[in-house]
Amino acid sequence: MVAQVLVNGIITAAEYALISLGFALIYRTAGFIHFSHGIVLTAGAYLTFLLTKWLGLPLSYSILPAVALSVLLGCLIETAVYRPLRRRKASSLILLLASLGVYFALQNIVSMAFGDGTRTIRLGGPEEGINVLGARITPVQVMIIFVSMALFVVVALLMKRTRIGRAMRAVASDPALARLCGIESDRVILFVFAIGSALAGVAGILVALDVNMTPTMGLNALMMGMLAAIIGGVRSIPGVALGALFLGMAQQLGGWKMGPQWQDATAFVILLAFLLFRPQGVLSRKGRSAKLGFGS
Amino acid sequence: MEYLLHIVILIGIYVILSVSLNLIAGYTGALSIAHAAFYGVGAYVAALMALKLHSPFLLNVVCAVFLCGLLGALVGIPSLRIRGDYFVIATFAFQVITFSVLNNWVSFTSGPMGLPGIPQPMIFGLKISSHLGFLLLIGLLCAITLLITRQIVRSPFGRVLKTIREDEVLAQAAGKNVAKYKVLVFVVGAGMAAVAGVMYAYYISFIDPTSFTVMESIFILSIVIIGGAGSLWGPVVGAIVLVMLPEALRFIGLPSSIAANIRQMLYGGALVAFMMWRPQGLLGEYAFEKESSQT
Repeated sequence: MVAQVLVNGIITAAEYALISLGFALIYRTAGFIHFSHGIVLTAGAYLTFLLTKWLGLPLSYSILPAVALSVLLGCLIETAVYRPLRRRKASSLILLLASLGVYFALQNIVSMAFGDGTRTIRLGGPEEGINVLGARITPVQVMIIFVSMALFVVVALLMKRTRIGRAMRAVASDPALARLCGIESDRVILFVFAIGSALAGVAGILVALDVNMTPTMGLNALMMGMLAAIIGGVRSIPGVALGALFLGMAQQLGGWKMGPQWQDATAFVILLAFLLFRPQGVLSRKGRSAKLGFGS
Repeated sequence: MEYLLHIVILIGIYVILSVSLNLIAGYTGALSIAHAAFYGVGAYVAALMALKLHSPFLLNVVCAVFLCGLLGALVGIPSLRIRGDYFVIATFAFQVITFSVLNNWVSFTSGPMGLPGIPQPMIFGLKISSHLGFLLLIGLLCAITLLITRQIVRSPFGRVLKTIREDEVLAQAAGKNVAKYKVLVFVVGAGMAAVAGVMYAYYISFIDPTSFTVMESIFILSIVIIGGAGSLWGPVVGAIVLVMLPEALRFIGLPSSIAANIRQMLYGGALVAFMMWRPQGLLGEYAFEKESSQT
């Protein structure tokens, strides 16, 4: 039983980690809470559903176009809503409110187009689990863990080794100085939205393959991703992974001890504790996140 | 006629909710998405007392206000340490936890089944049962809420709140105990939201947790922002506009299956539009711009 709880914790963490990474990249580069990140995740899942079930494409051919369209959606939100607001020097709270609006408008469009019920892209009936140290894990769940880890490595390398990665870190640490160095922050931010949205799109498809989809799946995933990022510290990629792992484990353990309906409450109590006592997260030094946390 | 009264009563409940949130968010600048939590706790306290203890209406109101005031202090205290984006997330967390408790503590709140059969309120031997009676009672409470809010914001107390909103360090430098003011405003705001919750519970006579979700909190916040944060009448105008809007949709004959979706879509769209073109709302004076010093 304990082994099963731990395995479930890792699977949960792998899903949270992907949405969390995208959220953290956008948060630290653009400097505000991109709430509609959640709808990009929902879009990834529902676009795959649309391509496979309504257009009849095989699943393997639908994933790439679905992720591409999610990227397009993320970039569209950035250029149509956030960029004009940034031009006007709107505060991060204004951007957050606009983002909430975008989220609810789009979520209801998904509801109207696909209905509020559960939709599935899973193949056939319940899958046989593989036995790992007394815990059952399905092949899809194994894939989720590997895809998540692989994407983390890719993004970490991108941030460390490439020009655009350096530019992203520059804009994150000091937008004004980055501008002085000839970095076009709008282009860098657009790029961050593209990467973040791709991660969200993939996360949406993975969650759908694991536990199906509903129009509100994005809100829940985003909340957990946000929590993982805050717990781990938005400034550090390993921190985000660690935050997701911690949150996934804590949630599964809490659910196991008190009943699954208390998973959300467990997660948010942990969040409140972190916000009060360590708002910069486990791994971050007191950087910009802390400054934002304590007002600037 | 009943239908018309029903709409006006709903507007009244949302006026109390949004005017009290305006005190917290509009005047003090603490953007909170936990207002539906206070609203819900108020409703549940009154409903549970009426159903289990058969206690009188006025006592229930007092208890609900008192308990929500305490909860308000609980949310207000972190606002001293956590600001800006992170405070929004903290209130969000509080909202989710409250909903989770209402929904999952089945033995006490009866969970998703809700609490049916809340009796009609008795005030000084007078039973309020008709729509008109509720309208008068809620109208009176709206007036009291507005009056208290006006007194607060026009007093020296209110000037300190606005100073905190514009420049917290300045308020501190002027020797004001910022902590005390912030916590107090949360206590008052939460207490008023509790009144709205009690009225909702008695009026509908049935409550369940789905009336007190994050979405509801965001809806109340939208009323404040679209009406105009930091103005006395802004939230009143906001409540009238946003409650009437879906009723107008009903008249153009939308199928009811998608009416709820269209409504929420319009709220979302309106929020975006206001942020882009009129962040201070219809009548407002404050547009959540304090944090912009970072760029």
